[in-house]
Parts: sequence; C-alpha cells; structure tokens
Amino acid sequence: MSEPTDKPSTPPPAAAPVAAPKPAPKPAPMSRGDFLWMGWSALAAFFAASAAAGARFMFPNVIYEPSQKFNAGPAKSYDMGVSTKWLNEQRMWIIRTPTGFYALWARCTHLGCTPNWWGDQNRFKCPCHGSNYTMAGDVIAGPAPRPLWRAKIDLSPLGDLIVDKSVLEDMPGKRELKPFFVDYASAA
Amino acid sequence: MPTLDIEKIKKEVVDSQLWRSVFRGGVWKDTPRDRAAHIVGNVWLHLHPVKVRPRALKWSYTWGMGGISFALYLLLTLTGVALMFYYRPTVGLAYRDIKDLEFAVTLGRFLRNSHRWSAQAMVVAVIAHMVSVFLRGGYKKPREFNWGVGVLLLTLTLFLSFTGYLLPWDQLAIWAVTVGTNMAGATPFLGNEGPFGGLMGMHINNDVRFTLLGGTMVGENTLLRFYVMHCVAVPLVVGILLILHFWRIRKDSFSAAPYQANEEKVEVWPHLIKREYIAAAGVVLFIMVWSILQNAPLESIANPNVTPNPSKAPWYFVGLQELLVYFDPWIAGVLLPGLIIVGLMAIPYIDTNPKGIGVYDWKERAFANTMFMLGIVMWFVLIYIGQACRGPNYAFYPPWESWYILKAAPPSTWSVFGPAGVGALPILLGIPVIGGLFGASMLLPKLIQKELNGKVVLGGFLAALAVLAGVGMALGKFGPVSGAFMLFFGGVAFYFGFILPQRHIRSLDWPRYLVTMGLVVCTMAILLKMCARLTFNIKYVLTIPAISLNI
Repeated sequence: MSEPTDKPSTPPPAAAPVAAPKPAPKPAPMSRGDFLWMGWSALAAFFAASAAAGARFMFPNVIYEPSQKFNAGPAKSYDMGVSTKWLNEQRMWIIRTPTGFYALWARCTHLGCTPNWWGDQNRFKCPCHGSNYTMAGDVIAGPAPRPLWRAKIDLSPLGDLIVDKSVLEDMPGKRELKPFFVDYASAA
Repeated sequence: MPTLDIEKIKKEVVDSQLWRSVFRGGVWKDTPRDRAAHIVGNVWLHLHPVKVRPRALKWSYTWGMGGISFALYLLLTLTGVALMFYYRPTVGLAYRDIKDLEFAVTLGRFLRNSHRWSAQAMVVAVIAHMVSVFLRGGYKKPREFNWGVGVLLLTLTLFLSFTGYLLPWDQLAIWAVTVGTNMAGATPFLGNEGPFGGLMGMHINNDVRFTLLGGTMVGENTLLRFYVMHCVAVPLVVGILLILHFWRIRKDSFSAAPYQANEEKVEVWPHLIKREYIAAAGVVLFIMVWSILQNAPLESIANPNVTPNPSKAPWYFVGLQELLVYFDPWIAGVLLPGLIIVGLMAIPYIDTNPKGIGVYDWKERAFANTMFMLGIVMWFVLIYIGQACRGPNYAFYPPWESWYILKAAPPSTWSVFGPAGVGALPILLGIPVIGGLFGASMLLPKLIQKELNGKVVLGGFLAALAVLAGVGMALGKFGPVSGAFMLFFGGVAFYFGFILPQRHIRSLDWPRYLVTMGLVVCTMAILLKMCARLTFNIKYVLTIPAISLNI
C-alpha cells in the first residue's frame, strides 16, 4: 500500500562485457498446460486405482466353506431310484439305476433353489419358479436353462460311495461316463 | 401474599443467557416475523421456504407420501439402531438373537415388528410418492434431475429391504437371498451363469455374485456383508441422496404447482409444518398399532440345503419372481430391472410435453400417464398372481383352491429358434426374424403419418386374432383358455404398443421417439412372451446354449 506507484526508473544496466558468451535462455522445464495435464492425470489415475483396489478388496482371498467331498455310505445300502438321504446335509441325490450310481447336485440351475423329488410323477420340481426335471436331470418344464449338474462319484475299496461336488458335469454323453457314474451291476 | 407472575417468570427464563444461547429470538409473539424466524433460524426446518403456495399444502395434491416416506425412514433408523444392540450377524448367533428379541428382550418383538412393518410401509409410500409425482407432471423441467435422484432412492429403498431380509437368518431369508444373488450370477458378461460370462472368464469364485456373497454360497461372509450394507453403507448413501433430493425441492420453489393469479402465499409455519407433524404422528401411530396386532414373520432356521415349498420372495419382489417363470434370469433379473430403472430416469428427458406441469391432468398427459400406469398395474398384477395364486412347486392355484390338491405336472416346453427348436439356426434366422419384428414394431407407429381410427383397427386386429384362435381350436392345437389368452394379450399389446403410440407420439423427434418406443415395445414383449408360454408352451424364442443366451 505504501509502495510508491511510480517507481523511479532504474538506470539501464551497464553494458554486458562483450567477451562473455550470452547464455541461451533456459527452456521452461514444462509448460503450464502440460504440468496441469500431468497433475490431473495423476489424480485421475489415483482415483481409478483406488476404485480398482476397493473392488479387489471385496473379493475374499480365503473363504471358509465346507468341504465339497463326502462319504455317502455303503453302495449296497441304496435301493433302486432316487435317494434323498443326503439332501439335508450335503444337498445331493444319490440315484441308483440297474447298472450303477450317479449323484445329482440338488441345485436348480435356474436360480439355485433345492427342488423336491416327486416319485409318483417321476420328476424333480423346484419350489421357487416351477422348473421340472427328469430323474436323469434333464429339464422338462419351467424356466431352468440347463440340466441338473452331476457330481464326481467313486466307489471306495470298502464299497462306500465317495461324492465330490467340486467336479461337475451336465453334458449328455459325458455325464453318463466315469467319473460321474459308478458301475454297480447287482446288489450281489 | 406475592402472586405468581407467570409472564414475568417466562420473560426471565427466555431472557436468560442459557435459554438465549440455545434458542435465539425473544418471547414468541406469533408475528409474521416470528413465524419466518422459526423456519430460517432452525437447522431442521430451514430446508423449507418461509412461504409456500396454498396448493402445495393440499393432501389431495401432494398425497403427503414424500414426507411420510421420510418419516418412515427416520422411524426405521430409530428402530434399527435399537435392534442392533441385541443382534450379532453370524450364522451361529443371528437366528438365536432374533429369537431372543422375540421372547427374551423387553419390547424386542415390538421393535422388530415396527422395523419390519415400517420397511414394508416405506416401500408402499415411496411407490405412491412416485405415482403422485408422475401423475401431476412433477418431474418435468426443471425437476428432471431430482426425479432421477428419486428413482435412485426408490431403488435403494428396495435394496435396503432386500439386504435386511437376510439378517434374521431364517428359511425366508436365506432362500430369498439365494435367488436374488443368483440373479446377479446371471448378469451378462459379469456373472458366471450369464450370457457371455464364460467368454469373460467368469467362474463361481470370481464373478459379481461372488463379491456380493463373499463366497460361493450364502454363508457367514454374506450375512456380514449384508449386515454392513444394511446398517451402514446403504443408509449413508440414502442419507446423502435425501439431502440432495430435499435441497433440490427447496431450490425448485418447493412445489411444481403452477402460479395462479391473485394467489396469496401462506406461511410454512404453522401451515405446512403442522401437516408434517400430523402426518408423522399418524405414521408412528399406524406402525405402533400394526406392530402390536401383527407379528413379523419368522420361519425356521436357515437351511442352505432344503428350500421351503413354495418359496416366495418378499411381496414387493414377487412380481419379479413371477416374471422369472417366463424369462431367463438375465432378462427378468438383470435386464428388465435395469430397463425399469433407466427408463424411469429417462422419462423427464423423453417427455417434452409442455402441458400438465404440476397439475393432475389426464387429458393433457394421456399417453405418458397411460403407459406409466400400465407399468404400475402390471407390476402389482404380477405381485398379486405370485403372492395369492402360486402354491406348491410354484404351480398356479387360484386363491380359493386348496394347496393339498396336487396339480398335474406342467406340460413340456419347446423353443422356437435353437438347436432343438423348430426354426433351428438361431443366429442366421432367429436374430434377423426377432430383430425385424422388434424393429418393425418400433418404427411402424411413426411411419404411418395419418392418424388411424383406433376402434376400427383394434376391432379388425381382434377379429383376425379370433379367427386364428378359432382355427387353432378347431384343429385341436389348443383349448378355449389358450384362445382367450391369445385374444387378451394380443389385444392389450396391440392397443398399448401400436394404436396409442400411433395416436400420440408419431410426431415426436426421432431420438426421443426411438427411446420411448424401445421401452414401450419391451413392455409389450413381456406380455407377448407370457402369452407365448401360456398358450403355446414356448420356453425360449431364441436360445444359443454355447453362450448361455436365452430370450
């Protein structure tokens, strides 16, 4: 405020020594536009990376879920047809045919409800949206898009059925073969 | 004997430093200045203007539903916080804690009932609020953005209900959430069971469903995630959006009611605030009485392996569940809800009709109101069918029929275009045919420039359908019920999807016309697909199993 507005003009500087080479004017390290562009980009990158990190954070690395493998007991204890013995504990149907065993995962392929077995009509019916499946697991009515999954099934040396729900197959032609089917001809 | 001078004591109290530090302003004299100061000097009330137009006060105009929704939100916060003191979100404890709230905690059952019923009442109130705002054209310029915020708030209200649904950890909870989250698994590209999900490398343990569940099944992590979303994350977002919503209302002159000549504004205190308090008191009373009379449902403890028969979603999602009977999950569970939300938000930008802003005027807004109410009616009819007419195995039972009568197994279904379908060649033939039909339905109303006589055209169409149905019945292809379905669905789709747009929006500019017609044709396609299933047992119109694409 108290500065005088009209500065006394300073005398012109003395002429530079002629011999000294004139240094080239230093180029600005970066233009203002470039600097701002870099700054905003860095900020945007930071937010994007934070969002990605936040999304990644929501995927747990370790999950504590029950084992997918279980012993379904001696094969000889099963009668012909659909057994609902393991439904409540393992969500599996063990199905015995004249030639052997397969295991169906009791999860409707529509939206994951557990269907019920209706022996008199020979079909599985889902209580949530009305999908119907045959004993083989094929869809015959309702909105389910694909057959029921069959799980890997093995016969242990002791004669027990071992079911592994983590290995699944639903393709006709593949699902009737090992390891999704156990040959077990007669009750012997 | 010294008399007690009330006025003097009052003045001394009000003039004291303590009182003045809390409440500014002197003794209340009920002057206009006092009334104005009561609004602007109060942090809670200052979102109101000092004066409003008298029409903005009328119950018949506002329906009071916005305020009632907010009152319910506050009540939900209060009861929810109380419940949190006794609830632990773990698989082993959650159900037991709910049982304790029911039987061992003083007022626990009452609080839980209040929370549950307030939540359901809030869903109703928010929908009613949306309907009232729509019918009075309250979303139009300059209020387009606030309508969008409102749509988000409606979505979040439903999401809050959905997340809260899991917390009791009973059969109702786990199966509603299993179905709901499996729909996320059917998301195109991002879900392991959705179209193109396989191409994107989605598996059961890396897709969008996995994030929602925090695992591959509804379990411990899911309960905790839903708890955090329900109690903290979503209410925070809702709170922020509510502030925005209210602030915009205030900035946009509080009410869309048009100005009238010689209209004298009235003071917000006491006229509006009084009504707000009355509404809030009514809401609290209503919820209290209801919560004393009616207990919130609680089924047996969650069993992730066995589903109750039938299993139904909470009532406001049963319409969606009903759609899932007719459509693949990615359509009914992802595409249609997405279209509904986006479509609702788009309404203010495609409806440029300058008439009927801030007034209930069906004549001026015939097309917009008809289409909107058609959607609302469809939603609630579907809810009614799902809630009242579905029994064991999700079979159709009229409300008067006993569930102990076992229904015949549903007939087998088939697909039109697909590997085993009649038309086969889904890509070469199916996509062009469906695309052509869709495109023609979209373009036809605008391409016919002369207004058609609706009655004649509809009559002709119905007559043609009746002949078709008659031929079909004569050939024994289907029965009279199917014929009636054909006439009903065909007629409704033709009237709302062709005659009305041809009459009302054929002169709309192309971009707005196309968006509007896209939404209209999609709505009609829902009806036609339902008809195709009910009449001809058609499962998919088009199916490409290799990429899980079913339409």
